Amino acid sequence: MKTIVYSCPYVPAEWIAAHGLLPRRLVPLPAEGASIAPRAEGLCPYARAFINEAAAAGAEGIIVTTLCDQMRRAYDLLVRGTITPAFLLNVPKTWQTVAAQRLYLDELKRLGRFLVRLGGRTATREGLATEMIRPDAHAACTAAPGRDARVPIAVLGGPLMQRDRVLFDLVEEAGGRITLDATETGMRGQPRPFDRRRIAEEPLMELADAYLGIADASRRPNSELYVWLRKELAATGVRGVLFHHYVWCDAWRAELARLKEWVGLPVLGLDSDGHDETNPARLRTRIRAFLEMLQ
Amino acid sequence: MTAALRQISLEEWDRRRHRLREEGLVEPIYGGPLGRHVADGDTRLLKLRFDDSPAALRLWNFLLTEEDRLRAARESGKKLVGAMKDLGTVPVMAYSLDNLVAFYPDGAWWIPCVMELNTGLLQIADSLGIDESFCPVRAMLGAFVTEAHFPLPDLLTCSVGATCDDFSAIAQRLNGLGHPILWWEIPHRRQSEPGEQAVTLPGGFETPRSQVEFVKSELLRVGVALGELAGRPLDDESLARGIAKANRVRDLLDRLRHLAFTAPLCPMPALEMLIAEMLAIHFCSDRDETILVLAELLAEVERRVAAGVGHLSTDAARVFWVNPVADLQVMNLLEESGGRICGTEYLFAHALDPIPTTLGPMEALAQMALADPMVGSSFDRAARIVADIRRFGAEAVIVSRIPGASHCALEGEIIGRIVREECGLPVLEIEVPSITDAAKATLCTRLEALVETVKDRRE
Repeated sequence: MKTIVYSCPYVPAEWIAAHGLLPRRLVPLPAEGASIAPRAEGLCPYARAFINEAAAAGAEGIIVTTLCDQMRRAYDLLVRGTITPAFLLNVPKTWQTVAAQRLYLDELKRLGRFLVRLGGRTATREGLATEMIRPDAHAACTAAPGRDARVPIAVLGGPLMQRDRVLFDLVEEAGGRITLDATETGMRGQPRPFDRRRIAEEPLMELADAYLGIADASRRPNSELYVWLRKELAATGVRGVLFHHYVWCDAWRAELARLKEWVGLPVLGLDSDGHDETNPARLRTRIRAFLEMLQ
Repeated sequence: MTAALRQISLEEWDRRRHRLREEGLVEPIYGGPLGRHVADGDTRLLKLRFDDSPAALRLWNFLLTEEDRLRAARESGKKLVGAMKDLGTVPVMAYSLDNLVAFYPDGAWWIPCVMELNTGLLQIADSLGIDESFCPVRAMLGAFVTEAHFPLPDLLTCSVGATCDDFSAIAQRLNGLGHPILWWEIPHRRQSEPGEQAVTLPGGFETPRSQVEFVKSELLRVGVALGELAGRPLDDESLARGIAKANRVRDLLDRLRHLAFTAPLCPMPALEMLIAEMLAIHFCSDRDETILVLAELLAEVERRVAAGVGHLSTDAARVFWVNPVADLQVMNLLEESGGRICGTEYLFAHALDPIPTTLGPMEALAQMALADPMVGSSFDRAARIVADIRRFGAEAVIVSRIPGASHCALEGEIIGRIVREECGLPVLEIEVPSITDAAKATLCTRLEALVETVKDRRE
């Protein structure tokens, strides 16, 4: 089966699968070596890592979105640096208007035509509905369920790269437990559960509605992010928040101060340049100190 | 051949103005000695070199009195619209309603330069979590907090979508502080696909009809809000009149730029030309006065060109400049290094193109908004730059990075590559913070090296 790689939560895997293609959400390592995007002052390390690894992934197609300006512009380099067909999905920043919802829906239809050009089949209502009710849909939740004596912690921010998973280990080492993964690659990046009645009636509309409802710092306004956080923080009994962002990620960096004012919980800001091996000693010390304060 | 004109200091300007007044110079209500702005805190003026014409004096006084004129407009009963991240669309709409005045809060990015960091605006932004990793436009946050640099607008609009992340994040922070914002979406401009109806936009880019319709619907939403603020709807007739006035501004600028960039001797220095161009996007809070200011500036340039006088010498290196500078003094430095401006793309080339008058007014504005070089691919922007380089005969390109701006991470390299491939010109990329004093020597060395390279290539 032909593989399509993407990185953004606003790309519905079910839509790709409904075209008979294999969706693969690429979480970069990141790997060094030959690259389309060189290291550059001001360039988001995640955007750089994604396009470099997507181009080398051997996929039949790559989907990039306009969720952030860095990724939108990295697409320019991608399409000229690889022969793999690439598609730029316009994800509206606004979400409160019918026009924004229609734009997103139209973009999904345009994506569908791209997937057909890559050799996918035309998606049918039934085929999409089948993908939407598969039991493994939305399987990427990484929050640890249950309660124990360890300090419940949330990690919040944009996407994590593979090597950033060390955060989870360090929190465990320090006597904590991440009960809410509110990163883009975690639970926050998942759409709400689909409405089965609407799946039967109009699956693409339901798909678009669920995915456009994903809360993110980049939405305008991004008030829904805080609505989502209020609910999830209360549900998970979190006692502290690790706020992770990459340097040059403006959308998330700008939220740190606002979150501190709003959340009423201790917040530890962690930035990463994404290039060097995460400095484990520094990170461990900071997380330990944070957890000690909470214990 | 050498020029007869020279740039003068602020002190010289005040003496010169005194003489001009004695000789009968009549100034507009906002006129006066430039030196008085230093007393208001605009200390950077002391380090700038200015054109010595009365037209330039009027231009500077117009720019530096914007806050006073905004407050006067409010006192006269007009409503104020802050058009954020808007390069020439919402102001055209707002000025179509005669009791609205639009301004450009993002313009606060020059306050740390003009007032030489004495206002504390950047420190306020720091305290709100918007640090130096963001573009200097973060000074706008401080300006909203202090309310010392412009009155708080009655309506704030902000375009989002295919815009810089840093500005979008700053505007969201402002919103989080309790300032309501009407967000309107400008999607990334894309090519039409097979089966889609295509529209050729002013400036030459192409986009699908569906994108134009989408933006039109967004602008209609903004238009309703403006109408509610004004107390009467924004109809097509009013909008057409507003577009005609905006086109008058654009026509004056087009003629001004053509003469300034192509005359054998530079008839108007880079600094004044930069300020003149900025008037296109927001009219410096007074559209009708903008027309008068530009008309006087154009008349001065026409007179100088006809007389064969100007600044610099005929062998000055002809430089195309990409992106506006946060420190105005850098435009002086280019000229001190032996260069002159022959073409610009200060992020809003589309706002210098005439707005089509053969289309419905809202359709025309939607097309103009989508013609923004920043909402499409960096390769599109580079193509427009290449076309303008050829139009104005530039010999080198300077890409001026804006510290922290999300678009600057990659586009400089792309623009540089395309310019070298298409035009074979030398390209220099520099970064210009709000105050460049600490880096002045390095900056001058780099500018001089570029000028030298240009002159060597002529031989």
